[in-house]
Amino acid sequence: MPCAAVIRFPGSNCEFETARVLRNSGIDSRIYNWNEIGRLSDNKADAYVLPGGFSFQDRIRAGVIASRENIMDFVFEEAMNGKPVLGICNGAQVLIESGLVPGWKPGSVQGALAGNLAPGRSGYLSRWVYLKPGKEAVAKCPWLSALEGDAFPLPIAHAEGRFVFREEDMDKVKSHIGLTYCTPDGSAADGWPDNPNGSVLNIAALMNAEGNVLAMMPHPERSYHLWQVPPDMQGFWGDKRRNSSLKDIEEQPGPGAIIFKGLAKYLGVK
Amino acid sequence: MSDRPNREDLENEVSSRHLAMTVDEAEKLAGYVDRMPTPLEFHLFDTMWSEHCSYKSSKPVLKTLPTDSPGVVIGPGEDAGVVSFCNHDGVEWDLVVAHESHNHPSQVLPVEGAATGIGGIVRDVYCMGARVTGSMDLLRFGDPLGKKGETTRGIVRGVVEGIWKYGNALGVPNMGGDTEFHPGYDDNCLVNVVAFGMVPHDRIVHSFVPEEAHREPYVLILTGKPTDSTGFGGATFASADLDGEQGIGSVQVADPFLKRVLSEANQAVLDLLFGKDIKFGFKDLGAGGIACVTSELAAHGGLGIDVDLDAVPVSMENLPPEVIACSETQERYGLAVPAAVVDEVLSVYNDRFELPRLFPNCRAAVIGKFNSKPVYNVVCRGQNAAATPINYITEGVVYQRKEHAVNCGAPEPAERPCNPRENLTKILTSLSGCSRNHIWSYYDSEVQGVTRFRPGEADSCVSVPVEGSRAGLAVSGDGNPWYGELDPFLGGAHSVGEAVRNVVATGATPICATDCLNFGSPEDPEAFWQFKQAVTGITEACNALGFSGGDYPLPVVSGNVSFYNQSKGGKSIPPSPIVAVFGKIHDHRKATDIVLRKQGNAVLLVGTRKDELGGSLFYRTCLGHHGGTVPVFRGSLEKKMADWVLGVIHDGKARSVHDISGGGLAVAAAEMALASRTLGIQFSLDSNPVTLFSETPGYLMEVDPDFVENVTLPEFVSVAGRVSAGCSVSGNGWEVDLNSLRKQWSDKLASVIWREEGV
Repeated sequence: MPCAAVIRFPGSNCEFETARVLRNSGIDSRIYNWNEIGRLSDNKADAYVLPGGFSFQDRIRAGVIASRENIMDFVFEEAMNGKPVLGICNGAQVLIESGLVPGWKPGSVQGALAGNLAPGRSGYLSRWVYLKPGKEAVAKCPWLSALEGDAFPLPIAHAEGRFVFREEDMDKVKSHIGLTYCTPDGSAADGWPDNPNGSVLNIAALMNAEGNVLAMMPHPERSYHLWQVPPDMQGFWGDKRRNSSLKDIEEQPGPGAIIFKGLAKYLGVK
Repeated sequence: MSDRPNREDLENEVSSRHLAMTVDEAEKLAGYVDRMPTPLEFHLFDTMWSEHCSYKSSKPVLKTLPTDSPGVVIGPGEDAGVVSFCNHDGVEWDLVVAHESHNHPSQVLPVEGAATGIGGIVRDVYCMGARVTGSMDLLRFGDPLGKKGETTRGIVRGVVEGIWKYGNALGVPNMGGDTEFHPGYDDNCLVNVVAFGMVPHDRIVHSFVPEEAHREPYVLILTGKPTDSTGFGGATFASADLDGEQGIGSVQVADPFLKRVLSEANQAVLDLLFGKDIKFGFKDLGAGGIACVTSELAAHGGLGIDVDLDAVPVSMENLPPEVIACSETQERYGLAVPAAVVDEVLSVYNDRFELPRLFPNCRAAVIGKFNSKPVYNVVCRGQNAAATPINYITEGVVYQRKEHAVNCGAPEPAERPCNPRENLTKILTSLSGCSRNHIWSYYDSEVQGVTRFRPGEADSCVSVPVEGSRAGLAVSGDGNPWYGELDPFLGGAHSVGEAVRNVVATGATPICATDCLNFGSPEDPEAFWQFKQAVTGITEACNALGFSGGDYPLPVVSGNVSFYNQSKGGKSIPPSPIVAVFGKIHDHRKATDIVLRKQGNAVLLVGTRKDELGGSLFYRTCLGHHGGTVPVFRGSLEKKMADWVLGVIHDGKARSVHDISGGGLAVAAAEMALASRTLGIQFSLDSNPVTLFSETPGYLMEVDPDFVENVTLPEFVSVAGRVSAGCSVSGNGWEVDLNSLRKQWSDKLASVIWREEGV
């Protein structure tokens, strides 16, 4: 059975559910503490996940201290070798700060996840949003490989999720788009509220050029089961959730499962 | 030879140290130690004898609350209550619940006050050995548009910020809670906090040094944040009148980051100790800091302790011994373990989880040794800082307070003009009747991946806290200040009733309750009467609403009393008993939400409407009147309704369910329609204020059309209408289009409180 390493930093808080959904997807998973580079490099893993949370209390900037931990040198190396790496929420912030995403100059920071911009409010926003994959995402990115191109919902929960880049890089960014915020029927988001944080180009997830490393703000690990979808959700997934039988609501996957299913397929899980 | 101090000297000590204890109490203390007490002893006993810790006024009254039920594992007395929850895969899981107030700190420093509110209550659950799976905030603020509106709006924003900044980082899903505005809270907001978690039955940890410590050497390990001077005098502050900015220094400073790392390190230590079958004691540091945790761990285990304050990791130099011992620095725990495992335990904290690297001077250290001499002995810099017979510390004090009935009778309005469309519109766009979504949007209610219903989707939040098990946990907290004001007995009874209905409406059977009793000064006979009335109401309701069979009540397993909540002029807040009820649904797949499912379905009204609109949203928002006739609490009918609703849900026949409370049937229907977006309810009832807006307890339930044909409805159930197309509520000759109100309904709080539009 393939194995994924979930890397926990001081302040991570989504490591258990992330490890759990990996196991449910047919991938063995283990949680490693930030200071367990030895154990991790001895065991290695087939994929790496940086879970959500508030690593090192978001001191300086969200993700920056974690990105300088020794264990990230090892993850960096594995990413360069083509191993799938996923950063969720705070994990995405760590990947941006480590220079793995977008990765034009691996190791150098080429973008930022800035504070949410939304009319009349600031700070944290916890809500479900609609997403769809970028043009090259499904073909390139193992984490997104099971998506079919339709809009699907996932929850977000962050205060700093606005992707920003230098003006001159804006064109280059487009081929790195993993997921964008959209309306329930799949049209591009036109600002708030479908784009919940003011992210440029509606970007919700960004990958490296090879596609093996993905930094995503939404939380697929919290939407693994159909029963986790809000009953008042609009669109296809809302209808599916409201009309499901007892059997289905337990057994049917939620939209977040598609992310882990993609990885499982990529790693050859039957 | 005795050198007992004279009364005058004691009086000087009490006033110069800003103690809350009376001079009589100081004399009692001097008698215990047979000399002038040390500063540490003064502050320790000041905390232990504070209202907050000793329940000295409330204890005799609280004894009436029912606590006995077959599921109760640990009733009131330890840091949190424990009830049995489910059995999965051979493991018996228990639910751990705690409920507290953080009112005064939140009024003075809203962000820090609300944050440490969560911080304190989750520690109470953690220290029973549990993982915390949810928290909830029950908030009462002044009038955001009233005389003190500006201050109030700042407090609301600050409290919400404190909750999200702390709670979200902690990784504990926030299960919402409720928010009410009433001018009676203008000078004294209420921030009540509930936390709950799950623990395997054989891994419950107790907060006293174990039996084994009588036979082998046990030591006390202090772990967590280095001690500073923050929160010195916190419990005393919570137990006195709130006076201006005074007490700011008594508010603790929270650090959710450290708490998160510590809770994982604690779990690793617990794993280690359970793995070796070692008996130990574990307690969080809250009120009274090191002094309370060391003395209580020892005293409750029948031992004495020597504490060495020089061994305490500190972050400030030259703190006096009483500050080191009694400050309420957050994020600390005390652990009583055999001396033989000390190195291993310290290594988990200091090496594996690297506490010293994460925060300067943060670490676990041995600070005391238990012994069989029943003395609380503290040394600091070579000096004796305390030497007290230990049983006196935990003995407590009790006062019989005077009570005096308040005349609550108030007139009903002379006329009750009713225009359903205008009234419903006004209620839904009022601060009292609008959506609480904006507040919840700051809370992370999905971390841990176990959340079934988020705030607002159903009558209570539901989670699925045991991996692999279908058992669902529902929780709701309620309390209506307008009822409390008009009739504190009914205020108490309906707090239980409404929380029970909210849990039942999702299909969960209530298994236990917690309460937080917020009142004015116990020394004010009228406030004390209100307190007693409310407790009687809670008792009566819990006795009527037991679901464990036989005559067993709904047990109140944990709680808190908060007195001295009053305005600057000395007027008590509205009597505010706030009750949380926890329920279990065996199969969470059957849990019901408030979203209407299908056009043409029948809508049943459970609970016949009565003319009892006192304190109702309709009177307050539409008539500018409070009225006088609060809904009667009909215990046996409440129980019958709940049993019937649970039966229909468990049979899989209920499509959606919403309880009827604030705003009555019309508002309940509107909330169901708003949640479903494309459907509404068409009523076939008379359109009068009693039918539409009376808050007589009840439920609205959506069922398939043939349900009504195949089932004999009990006398308290009738068909009230049907699910209609389009997001609206309508009746005989009127219709309210809810989509056109949606923006105002969902945005009202944000526009008034966050954006300050039109104020």
